[in-house]
Amino acid sequence: MSTNNIAVMGRSQGMVREARHLLFTVAPGALWIVIFLVLPSLYLMAVAFMSNGPYGLPQMPLSLNSFKQLAGVGFLGWSPGNLYTLLRSLWQTLVATGLVVLVAYPLAYYITICRAKWRPIMLLLVVVPSWTNQVIRTFGWMNLLAPGTPLSNAAEVLGFIPPNMGLYPSNFAVTLGLVYNFLPFMVLPLYAAFEKLDTAQVEAAQDLYARPARAFWHAVFPQTLPGLLAGIVLVAIPAFGMYVIPELLGGGKAMMLGNLVATQFSGGSNWPLGAAGAILMLIATFIGLFAMRRIGKRLGGGEEVVI
Amino acid sequence: MRKRTLKRCLTAFWWITLVFLYLPLAVVVLFSFNASNSAASMTGLSLRWYHQLLGNEQIMAAFGNTLVLAICSSVIALVIGCLIGYGMYRHRHRKLGWLIVLIYLPIVLPDIVFGISEMAFFVQFHRLTGLLQPGLGTMVIAHVTFQIPFVALIVYSRFVGLDPTLFEAAKDLYATPVKRVVHFMLPTIKPALISAFFLSFTLSVDDFVISFFTAGPESATLPIYIWGAIKKGVSPEINAIATLMIGAVAIAAAISLLFSRKNQHSRKRQS
Repeated sequence: MSTNNIAVMGRSQGMVREARHLLFTVAPGALWIVIFLVLPSLYLMAVAFMSNGPYGLPQMPLSLNSFKQLAGVGFLGWSPGNLYTLLRSLWQTLVATGLVVLVAYPLAYYITICRAKWRPIMLLLVVVPSWTNQVIRTFGWMNLLAPGTPLSNAAEVLGFIPPNMGLYPSNFAVTLGLVYNFLPFMVLPLYAAFEKLDTAQVEAAQDLYARPARAFWHAVFPQTLPGLLAGIVLVAIPAFGMYVIPELLGGGKAMMLGNLVATQFSGGSNWPLGAAGAILMLIATFIGLFAMRRIGKRLGGGEEVVI
Repeated sequence: MRKRTLKRCLTAFWWITLVFLYLPLAVVVLFSFNASNSAASMTGLSLRWYHQLLGNEQIMAAFGNTLVLAICSSVIALVIGCLIGYGMYRHRHRKLGWLIVLIYLPIVLPDIVFGISEMAFFVQFHRLTGLLQPGLGTMVIAHVTFQIPFVALIVYSRFVGLDPTLFEAAKDLYATPVKRVVHFMLPTIKPALISAFFLSFTLSVDDFVISFFTAGPESATLPIYIWGAIKKGVSPEINAIATLMIGAVAIAAAISLLFSRKNQHSRKRQS
């Protein structure tokens, strides 16, 4: 056997060993995720195309009934309830994300201009509330916004709400809860963007006598855009599928898609309808991720956008 | 001059936001010491809700479930995630796009879709085979599924941060792969393992939606118990449990602050 052959054999043996190594390290986790997440979600998608049996469990003849129901077609003809829920989810997501940006942007900037030794503490202060359980945080807002509390009384005196009506349950309370919940998710990526800010560009703009607004728009804003986009992904996607906050702070008239989906399963009333709602949520999620990636790549910050 | 007013406005804005962030938590803590039943007015200070907690068997059981779930799932996720993280590093030159997609899937999937898929799957699996009855077991499986990606990514980034020649040196020093793992690999990634474990633990205690949909009748965790109590009509006891959980978070925050201080100091000394 020539030495050349041995070398080739050695290499192929090495490749086999490498492949086995890859299998041993990666396979347990990959299999775990495939069995306990990919298969269940595929099953859920299949459920959406089945018909609704007794006890709400899915049954065999395939049908598109669940999607019709999601669009509002029921036994009694068409009703706009589900469509309102969908539109409300979109609207709440949009408003909450916008408000979070408005609050987080100046906040992230402020943290970067503070002394370096305070910055980690300030970031920690922003993040710590989100470490407590979501149910507890939302319960705190229930306490604050209930009828008879100082905040509700103030809103009543100012004429925002009718007497004895408390600020919760309402759409307003849901928006507030969403903004509260997602603020840290926006501050962190924005802070990272501001920290890397190239101040030479800002100085150049000032040297060219750009007014502050113009200097901001052309020299600062584009540099923070990757962080902003990452924040929007981190806020908008989970906000669209939010369950806890509308359930506790919203009441029946502020239901979002997550609640519509959950009711179909927890009440055991209609799995296919719930699954159809879940598919809609998945589509929205992937459209969001894909759009952000595209925009992010065009800006040259592609990596940061994917978390 | 204008810069100074801007900074003053921002400072004011910062303090207002802090009040916004901590007000709901402060209210919960305050009302946990309320002497009266009413959720709207403070009448005096007392510890009666905390006394009631100790006597409430359901709460104690929920507390136990929360701990068992968090510890079991974090340990399993640590082992599996660590292996994946190392595999991703070692084979980073291959095309592992499918693996990255698989690992990000639990992170990007909305909680509610995650929880409901698992629930539907477990229910049907149980109907067909009689195995995997909804309970702590199914909850551990679900929690491990969302913890694996975080462990894997933390371990992977620790490996990427290492000097690649270290691996060659370890190969020269230690003859067997087992020794290499025990004497080189595990000690070097220890900080990553510790932070991955704590992150997994926190994620598990923090989770409500996924636990809620995979739980059985006997396996309520604290968040699930609190949820039920809120739905039934607010009882002042909730404030007391919630305060204890907020206290745990405050301690965790203090520890992480100390750690980051220590890291800063050691980094300064090095440079």
